[in-house]
Amino acid sequence: MAKRDAIPEVETYIDHQAGVIREVQPPAPRSKKAAERRANRAIYTALVIISVVWLAPFLFLVLQSFRSYLTEDGGMVSYLVPKAFSLDNYRFLFEDGRYLRWYTNTLTIALFVSVLQTGMVLSVSYVLSRMRFRGRRFIMNMILVLGMFPGFLTLIALYFLLKQFGLTQEGAIPGLILIYVASSGMGYYISKGFFDTIPKSLDESARIDGATRFYVFRRIIMPLSKPIVIYTILMGFMAPWGDYVFASYVAFGKSDSYNVAVGLYRWVNTLDFQGYFTRFCAGGVLVAIPITILFFLLQRYYVEGVTGGAVKG
Amino acid sequence: MADLEYLGLTRPQKALRRLAAFLTGLPGRLGRGLLGLLRALGRLARGAWHELRDLALTFMEGDWKTRTSFFIMGFGSIARGQVMRGLLFLLFQAVFLLYMLFFGGAYLAKWGTLGDVETTRQGRVTVYGDNSFLILLYGVLTLFFVLAFLYTWRVNVRQNRISQRLQQAGKPLKTAREDVAALADSQFHKTLLALPTLGIFLFTIVPIVFMVLVAFTNYDYNHQPPGKLFTWVGLSNFRTMLSAGSANYGSTFSQVLLWTLIWAFFATFLNYFLGMMVAIMINKKGIRLKKLWRTILVMTIAIPQFVSLLYVSKMFAADGLINSYLMKWGWISEALPFWTNPTWARVTIIVINIWIGIPYLMLIATGILMNIPADLYESARIDGANAVQMYGKITLPYMLFVTGPYLLTSFIGNINNFNVIFLLSGGGPMSMELGGNAGYTDLLITWLYKMTVNNTDYKMAAVIGIIVFVVTALINVVVYNMIPSVKHEEDFQ
Amino acid sequence: MASVTLEHVKKIYDNKVVAVQDFNLEIKDKEFVVFVGPSGCGKSTTLRMIAGLEDISEGILKIGDRVVNDVEPKDRDIAMVFQNYALYPHISVYENLAFSLRIRKIPQEEVHRRVVQAAHILGIEAYLDRKPRALSGGQRQRAAIGRAIVREPQVFLMDEPLSNLDAKLRNQMRAEIILLRRRLDTTFVYVTHDQTEAMTLGDRIVIMKDGFIQQVGSPQEVFEKPQNLFVAGFIGSPQMNVFDAELEEDAGEYTVVLPGFRLRLEGERAQLLRKRCIASQAVKLGVRPEHAQALFEARDNSLKGSIAVNEMMGSELHLHILREGEQNVILRVPTVDLSPAQRAILEAGQTIHFSFQSKVVQLFDPQTEQSLLF
Repeated sequence: MAKRDAIPEVETYIDHQAGVIREVQPPAPRSKKAAERRANRAIYTALVIISVVWLAPFLFLVLQSFRSYLTEDGGMVSYLVPKAFSLDNYRFLFEDGRYLRWYTNTLTIALFVSVLQTGMVLSVSYVLSRMRFRGRRFIMNMILVLGMFPGFLTLIALYFLLKQFGLTQEGAIPGLILIYVASSGMGYYISKGFFDTIPKSLDESARIDGATRFYVFRRIIMPLSKPIVIYTILMGFMAPWGDYVFASYVAFGKSDSYNVAVGLYRWVNTLDFQGYFTRFCAGGVLVAIPITILFFLLQRYYVEGVTGGAVKG
Repeated sequence: MADLEYLGLTRPQKALRRLAAFLTGLPGRLGRGLLGLLRALGRLARGAWHELRDLALTFMEGDWKTRTSFFIMGFGSIARGQVMRGLLFLLFQAVFLLYMLFFGGAYLAKWGTLGDVETTRQGRVTVYGDNSFLILLYGVLTLFFVLAFLYTWRVNVRQNRISQRLQQAGKPLKTAREDVAALADSQFHKTLLALPTLGIFLFTIVPIVFMVLVAFTNYDYNHQPPGKLFTWVGLSNFRTMLSAGSANYGSTFSQVLLWTLIWAFFATFLNYFLGMMVAIMINKKGIRLKKLWRTILVMTIAIPQFVSLLYVSKMFAADGLINSYLMKWGWISEALPFWTNPTWARVTIIVINIWIGIPYLMLIATGILMNIPADLYESARIDGANAVQMYGKITLPYMLFVTGPYLLTSFIGNINNFNVIFLLSGGGPMSMELGGNAGYTDLLITWLYKMTVNNTDYKMAAVIGIIVFVVTALINVVVYNMIPSVKHEEDFQ
Repeated sequence: MASVTLEHVKKIYDNKVVAVQDFNLEIKDKEFVVFVGPSGCGKSTTLRMIAGLEDISEGILKIGDRVVNDVEPKDRDIAMVFQNYALYPHISVYENLAFSLRIRKIPQEEVHRRVVQAAHILGIEAYLDRKPRALSGGQRQRAAIGRAIVREPQVFLMDEPLSNLDAKLRNQMRAEIILLRRRLDTTFVYVTHDQTEAMTLGDRIVIMKDGFIQQVGSPQEVFEKPQNLFVAGFIGSPQMNVFDAELEEDAGEYTVVLPGFRLRLEGERAQLLRKRCIASQAVKLGVRPEHAQALFEARDNSLKGSIAVNEMMGSELHLHILREGEQNVILRVPTVDLSPAQRAILEAGQTIHFSFQSKVVQLFDPQTEQSLLF
């Protein structure tokens, strides 16, 4: 500890206007603990309110999914809690067949996309992070520029392109997988950011030891990139569940090829909406449950990916 | 050396000084930009000249193997023992020639008019004429194929030159086995990039080029192939989109563009600051159940948006839960026009988007807040700063610095935020005053979607797409260079 | 076992920055050569060119008699130890050591034998089953060296291997590297920015600056006969003192003149100057801190100044002396024989006289900064 003078040091600053040196007024002492407690109480209040607002819609959704369309009303009504608790809507979903079909469609797409897209994304990001070759800058700039075009611009062109190969309507499932996966290499930013943090000397050391690039990729980079691999798989799996635009356009009127988003959207907006509202709620719950569970299981990786991506831009 | 005079100024003086410096620097910057452009052109010309000279030299100095390769690709390689390489070249040339002869050539030939043989009905039989759509699409593909062929031809010639030199120097050429082995090592990027590049080319580049070209045609519901032809119309679609008048979209366009920018602004910055606030509250020392609060918020990310947004949209409908309960409790006598009044709809969308957006920002901000060195706060406390001052002098600048690029991408992302608008309001409320089926909450991107799907007015959709690109590119270029973390990367390190 | 030869090697980056200029050096078989210099001097780039991690822009690189310019790193029969160790974090120390052998498909018994042997040499047998994360800095360093040892390479390359360690550990590892070298008896190329490491480890030292070799020589040579002002300043700690002085020549007799101090050059130094026919000129005069003597009383023909800072290092004192209006001079004074009275004189604020002998001075041309002597 440094020795201190008996007289306490007073902070000063120069007041240029008056041309004098003034003392900084020390902040008035106050009861720190009480203020702290007041602040915490305010924060807790705010957090509880926020939690209620955030959870309410989901709670409502679940409640309404239990309202029977047979004995009560399948449409939108002016009350929240069903008069009688019923599983009619869920029964309908399983008996009707359409919903199950949509669900399997979406699941199929999601599984394929998560695997194939991960391969694409990791390939591109590994190459752009680790290798230096002619045209690397060009590829990065190209992807940047292409990314500035709105995604739906290419809708019709893609539709007709797929149509040439019979990948629309009946063939919409493979067609959609193709659309989602084909250009996914453009979303390399986050995983490249992750690869960039793995020291280059690991690659160099391995290369001196006799490893090929492929060996380095498989045996060193991949094992070290578990978080980002899981993140990429998670993203690839979740995205197809929410896509309406491409899914509806490519399936175009072929109900058997819908995914859940298209099917449920049509239930709620274009079909007999009054009767289908509670069925939509039930269908939504069935989609939300597995995805939410999956998400919370892998939340750690998601957070890592999102924050990493935001910080690196 | 530090500019002591500048450092001694007060804040407004500093701002004034910076503005003056910016303005006086403008001509110089413009000049430099122009000079850079000229220099780039010069480089391009020099590059082209270099290539031509190299080609001529290769031919003149080349032996018969090299010279033959100018016409029969891969000949030199085969003759020098690199059979696999040579065969690949040869195969490519054969495929190209066959393609041009039997397929691509015909389409490319009709590119000038996009077809002139009308589809006619003779009695009960429809006789199909040219299909403008396919002519344009395959024309684009063929064009790229030609470019690829030229490039491959050039590589083939260069290969010959290199091989010839190596042989003259008495060095061995690479064997097929070595070539294949290199694909897992020094040429590994080619292996890894082959599929992604092909995918991006076929499913992004070709469609984009195609649609950009559509913007210069009259492809719409009146000109639908295969029944009808469409053709080039020059810039007339852009004129329709941008000029005023009842037949044109000028006023609608400015409405939509303005709302797009307003929306993007609020969706980005409101969420940013509120999300940061929530993150700070949750992370404050002494607050318990941190994990619970976070988990509750993150629910909106986990649940697919088409479920949550569609449901919330119905909650706010005229006969939805909110209005029902408000009426039941006697607070209002008739339904609030959440989706039917333009201003109400816009505000509602922005507010609901907070519900969607805060969790993301909360996660991001949490990550960054934890990274702010604690000693910064300790030092500030010793200097006598209170909580608000610490936020203003440390937390906020740090956050803004680190998330600068993120704010930019997020702003751009919101310009293109299709889901929220489409699932909540579908662009409505509609109005007779707006053209092209646009509604008051339509963004450019949702308008584009309507143009494509509802109106089948592809030419205008293409025009909007190009405009979105221009807006995005402009914002990127202007803002990117102003972001502090790009300018002074090491300041906060 | 092999020599390493660099002939006119140059490294030019894509942006036209020249990192290494016309590098010529022959490293003999089993020699320990140290590249030393400030950061950005090109020492690491040169090492990486030898390793094959950087392309060679111009010139020829030979390992043994073989030109290896276009040989892949893995085929050069070298091993490299990196500054940050480059241990693979996801596999155990054992597997780290075995990594290169496994790639080469060496049978398991042989792998095991070599790994255990290397671990034994380095004293890390107890940690073989751990992940690198669970090791201390020194143990990681040993593991990294172990990975190089099992290769039994022709040439050992080390890129600042000790700079991530704390001072105490660094001294210890330095000694261990000397022992290791004696034991392995192979060619070493070692890069460091620390002149102490360079002096203690190297058979020969290559001092670099801005991509140029400044001097190549044994530790003693570069210390006693620095070829230019940079080498003189870089080698030795604390730094050599440099004075602006006049060299006077009179009938083959040389005298260095400073204000208040004249020093006649004798012996070898005068001969060297005579041989080169140096005339009277301005010079930079260099004297190492340990070669200047503090005088405890005022004396004619001496330099003087006031003591600004007095650093007690234990066995010696470092005096920072401020001469009137001139640069700082540092003296090293052994403390063993100092009487209390003498110590009193060496306190901060006191005026002190000092001088030095002719056999220790270095003379440099002020323009070219080259030595006038060597």
